[in-house]
Amino acid sequence: MFGQKREQTRIISEIEKFSTRFSLGRDSNPFNSTGSPHFLRVKIPGGFLTSNQFRRIAEISELYGKGKIEITNRQGIQLHWIEADEALEVFRELDQIGFNTDMCGQGFRGAGHGDVRNVVCCPASGVEEDEVLDGRPLMKKLTKFFNGNTDFLDMPKKFKISISGCGHDCTRAQINDLAFIAVKKNAEAGYTPLLGGSTGRTQPGPRLAQPTGIFIRPEDAFNFAVATAELFRDNGNRESKAKARFKWLLHEWGLEKFLLVLETKLGLSFEEYIGPIFNGRGEHFGINPQSQKGHHYVTIPVLGGRLTSREMIEFSRLADEYGSGELRLTPSQNIIIPHVVDSEPLVRVLEDMGFHFSVPNIHWMGMGCASDFCGKSQSPHAKEIVKRLTAHLEEVFEVTFLDSADFVLHSSGCPNNCCPSNIAEIGLLGKSARKDGQMVQVYDILLGGGFGPEPVFGRRILRSVQHEELGSRIESLLRKYRENRVPEEKLKEFCLRHTEAELEEYLKITEVEIK
Amino acid sequence: MTSQDENSRLTKLEDGLYSIDVTGLVCPYPQLLAQGALEDLSSDDVLEVVLDNPPSVKDIPEALEKRGYNTEVAPFDGTEWKIVVRKKFDETNVP
Repeated sequence: MFGQKREQTRIISEIEKFSTRFSLGRDSNPFNSTGSPHFLRVKIPGGFLTSNQFRRIAEISELYGKGKIEITNRQGIQLHWIEADEALEVFRELDQIGFNTDMCGQGFRGAGHGDVRNVVCCPASGVEEDEVLDGRPLMKKLTKFFNGNTDFLDMPKKFKISISGCGHDCTRAQINDLAFIAVKKNAEAGYTPLLGGSTGRTQPGPRLAQPTGIFIRPEDAFNFAVATAELFRDNGNRESKAKARFKWLLHEWGLEKFLLVLETKLGLSFEEYIGPIFNGRGEHFGINPQSQKGHHYVTIPVLGGRLTSREMIEFSRLADEYGSGELRLTPSQNIIIPHVVDSEPLVRVLEDMGFHFSVPNIHWMGMGCASDFCGKSQSPHAKEIVKRLTAHLEEVFEVTFLDSADFVLHSSGCPNNCCPSNIAEIGLLGKSARKDGQMVQVYDILLGGGFGPEPVFGRRILRSVQHEELGSRIESLLRKYRENRVPEEKLKEFCLRHTEAELEEYLKITEVEIK
Repeated sequence: MTSQDENSRLTKLEDGLYSIDVTGLVCPYPQLLAQGALEDLSSDDVLEVVLDNPPSVKDIPEALEKRGYNTEVAPFDGTEWKIVVRKKFDETNVP
């Protein structure tokens, strides 16, 4: 029998086609109650895809993933319930429409097997009215270079790149290992890079990407990114998984040394950039006029990022009927239909589908991780918590008040903090705790974080709050904020000027007012 | 004396005992290769699966048990795991 190896030969031949571009992740951790054995995360470069591609992914999800998908905060699409036995069929289907997946090497015990994750790009690229630079050419070039490139499949750990071209922080740049931010220097458009961001708890702890203070011309940006990834690959820590992210290398070398080494490697003399990095936080929600006169892009609020295949197929139809057959996934897990001439009938259809536009900004900005699948935490899960809290706040407060507070709500189910709770004005970080002899899900409350022009990590104000109390406590905080804020003060600023003890007091549940 | 095909990860260790090295591979490839090897072997052959990807250490026994195999995971040696796979004894086939 050994001489025949028919099945081995067939499988090896299939694997050769896919093994550097496709993988599955494991969903079945202790508390996963969904029955999903595996997930796969489809890389959608910059979140840009056609209606046909979106429709096809919907069909694939119907065939293999119970007709449900998640938009990720790196503009990808996650499918669950994938069986290993069917994986090659799914890979073949995705390959045919031009996509591949993340390489899930994180399961290995030591450092290594790190890949370049989906390159995030401003979802309003090429349509934003006051765009500084269209990031798509750089995003496409980087994606083409890194995807399946065996030279970059065994980095010490994953490596995340983002590109913001609109002048706003719509990509949450500071949580990336390398972020390109479009800026103008003496009227010339280029990028100023940020380096070493990561909100996870690996060493040296959560870090916001550091501004480099240099100016990179668009034609040098690709080489800058490749050289940065090479330096990480060749010099990053491989002794300890906890020290394997790029932020550790930057911590060890310091930014100045890193840039000097990079300058030598590239044969460039970096130009200084002194000036603002972002004009605002930005997220491109609602209906916005495009730089193409008479056209609008319509952002559909998908709080939590979960869609059914039916909704995806309908969105594809709407993109064909009202737009140009293009869809864009945003880093806040929403969807944009660009190139819409008449947005009113489109919005009517979307409202009928349950996607409401007269909602506060928190509805567009709230995010939660997929903790129900990941299984490291228990119910109620992160996405459910975000939905519950958003609904509660929408019920209790007026839209204008919530928008004036200008905050976002992020929720992570476990301390891995996959949905970065520490860069939100209100962040919730879940964990399991023992109550009356049973393990239950509780959340720490972090306040005052934020991304954009003045990024800052939130402070952990309360620990191990019962999930039933979250709504009342946050409601109480917002009432205190409304009573005590100075004119024009946003929630982040309010939190920053108060001590932890004061904020803890504000989170105490008091008798609530009736709206 | 062992023998190995250049295009295969499967090695014959001795009569009735084979080893497949799936180290360095991520999910689902270790499981698919192990299943493929078992398809090619006789039902009384024993297969050792050598791997270093922890998720597959959970996946492979689950999948193979469902397919009628007994699996035994040897303790991690600091670098790799070894899963020993044998076809379950089927009493209904005893003459």
